[in-house]
Amino acid sequence: MLTISNLRASIEGKEILKGLDLHIGPGEVHAIMGPNGSGKSTLASVLAGKEEYEVTGGEVLFHGKDLLELGPDERAGEGLFLAFQYPVEIPGVSMVNFLRASVGAVREYRGQEPLSAGDFLKLMNEKKKIVEMDANLTKRAVNEGFSGGEKKRNEVFQMAMLEPTLSILDETDSGLDIDALKVVAGAVNKLRGPERSFLVITHYQRLLDYIVPDFVHVLYQGRIVKSGGKELALELEGKGYDWIKEETPAV
Amino acid sequence: MELTTSTQPSRKENLLSGFRPASQNGFGTTSAARLQAIAALDSLDLPTRKTESWKYTDLRTLSSRTYQQSVATFKGEIAPFLIPGLDAHLLVFVNGCFDQKLSASALADAGIQVQPVSTLKGADYEAFEALLGTAAKPNADIFTAINNAYAREGVFIRVAANHEQERPIYLLHLNDANQTTAFQQRNIIQLEAGASVKLIEAFHSLDQAYTLRNEVTEIHVGNGANLEFVKIQSESDQATIIDSTEIHQAAHSKTNVFTYTFSGEIVRNNVYVRLNEEHCEAHLFAAYMLNGTQIQDHHTEMHHIAPNCFSNELYKGIVDDESTGVFNGQIHVYPDAQKTNAFQSSRGILLSESGNIFTKPQLEIYADDVKCSHGAATGHLDEDAMFYLRARGIREKDARLMLMHAFALETAETLSLDAVKAYIGHRVDTRY
Repeated sequence: MLTISNLRASIEGKEILKGLDLHIGPGEVHAIMGPNGSGKSTLASVLAGKEEYEVTGGEVLFHGKDLLELGPDERAGEGLFLAFQYPVEIPGVSMVNFLRASVGAVREYRGQEPLSAGDFLKLMNEKKKIVEMDANLTKRAVNEGFSGGEKKRNEVFQMAMLEPTLSILDETDSGLDIDALKVVAGAVNKLRGPERSFLVITHYQRLLDYIVPDFVHVLYQGRIVKSGGKELALELEGKGYDWIKEETPAV
Repeated sequence: MELTTSTQPSRKENLLSGFRPASQNGFGTTSAARLQAIAALDSLDLPTRKTESWKYTDLRTLSSRTYQQSVATFKGEIAPFLIPGLDAHLLVFVNGCFDQKLSASALADAGIQVQPVSTLKGADYEAFEALLGTAAKPNADIFTAINNAYAREGVFIRVAANHEQERPIYLLHLNDANQTTAFQQRNIIQLEAGASVKLIEAFHSLDQAYTLRNEVTEIHVGNGANLEFVKIQSESDQATIIDSTEIHQAAHSKTNVFTYTFSGEIVRNNVYVRLNEEHCEAHLFAAYMLNGTQIQDHHTEMHHIAPNCFSNELYKGIVDDESTGVFNGQIHVYPDAQKTNAFQSSRGILLSESGNIFTKPQLEIYADDVKCSHGAATGHLDEDAMFYLRARGIREKDARLMLMHAFALETAETLSLDAVKAYIGHRVDTRY
């Protein structure tokens, strides 16, 4: 589904990703862990198409297509979804209008018929339940005045609406209390399926108690330096990242 | 009165010839305000860019043109200029002249009188002349003076005490001139105590001739009265617009003025409000959009004369290409105006590198117990918001439009007429 080969990316002339390789198959859940500054969020941003990052080398194939050639909106159409670490507040754009535009654009991209107004509302109400989202939130402007937890729920809600084949969760656990974390993780688990893959980026092992990964990777200095099963996350939780740093030769 | 003419008409004479009637026909010549204005024209001159309040607006193109006097010649359809879903009492003006055939019949009952100025007779005419120049100082500047001296058309609206006019009044101005034409209007609106009225005024061009519109609206808002006034400016890139709205408010009165400017070669808007008595409220909202080499120069003056009044101004501009937007907002708090609350905010989005927005807040505060604030911010479209929308599949063009729509429509949040609000939104969407 997703194959990243020797990916290099920099921002403002500073190289952050230094030859990253990763393969994600259909239905798989991969977790990426790593110390601060290792390039986790850069990877998420580069995959989603944020323009500040300059890709200086390597290749990303998504469903066989050259992902890096596509604009952010086309990537969403192809089935890629980024749950933002810091969801953006957009005053004056109501959640309903935003979602209608988003779902409409993605369906159009995928060659699907537009949803009727009634079907759209039905879909929205159905998905709202998955994330146990306050019904009133969709009447407000996008993320405006939402609490940290509400913003993260809103990300997962949008994920449910857009039915992506690859969801990237960028530190979705940060700023969440344990109850909110359980709800968010539960929603993600409900969305899991044989064709739905996840890339879970997190600093802490805690989230992986609830979203159990098939593979865990350690990102350090812009490269995947260690991969393993879910037990690797527990090992990292116990031992910290220092042993990884010691094992990794300087680049 | 004759002005001296030479073989080369002066800039000023060139301008005046478009407005000064061949003969006065007795219209208004006896009114003191008109005589005062005519006399003032001797000494008033066209502003230049050295005139501080006209610094950004170069009127040289205007005075190089020879404007003809307006003639009503409407050949088109008015349907495209109506606001869908708005049930309103319609008055249509073509090239500055009232068009009886296109308009609803005069509204004159115990509660409200809506009359075109050119049709005024007898006591109505005298009432109009008596109010002329009472809110807009006849010799304030050359444009107000010209208007005061020679304007023969416009609308005269009187709302009787405690009459709540539910059905809004829609003044539709159409430019359909086939030659370089000047026209002007003088509106006088009087709300007696406890009255309320909603007024929409829209301006459109059907033709590409150069036009110059010089409009003055004087409004007296009585004790506890309530005015909602929406101005939609949508004239062509050959149109120069000088538009002054001067509002006097009595105690406990409330005004909401909304200005939406979509186009025009040069647009100069003055909105001046005097809060003469206690517990007045005034809200000025505006969204303006420019491209090409258009210039829009928005000036406001908020005079807090009496204590315990509240004013709020929100001006938002979207500037593209090499166009120039200006917001100049003055707040005057007079020595007696304790407990004043006066707020002002100017925000701009630049869509190009060579467009400009100049903001000049001017606060003069002579009372000590006041809350005043002003803020100004101009920048590009929020890149983070753009990325967020695009990451949800929304195409770049649509994402930009969503953000611009949201930006502009923040000014319409308190607009009570849903059809007008929807129309404004539609106009913003189709502008880009």
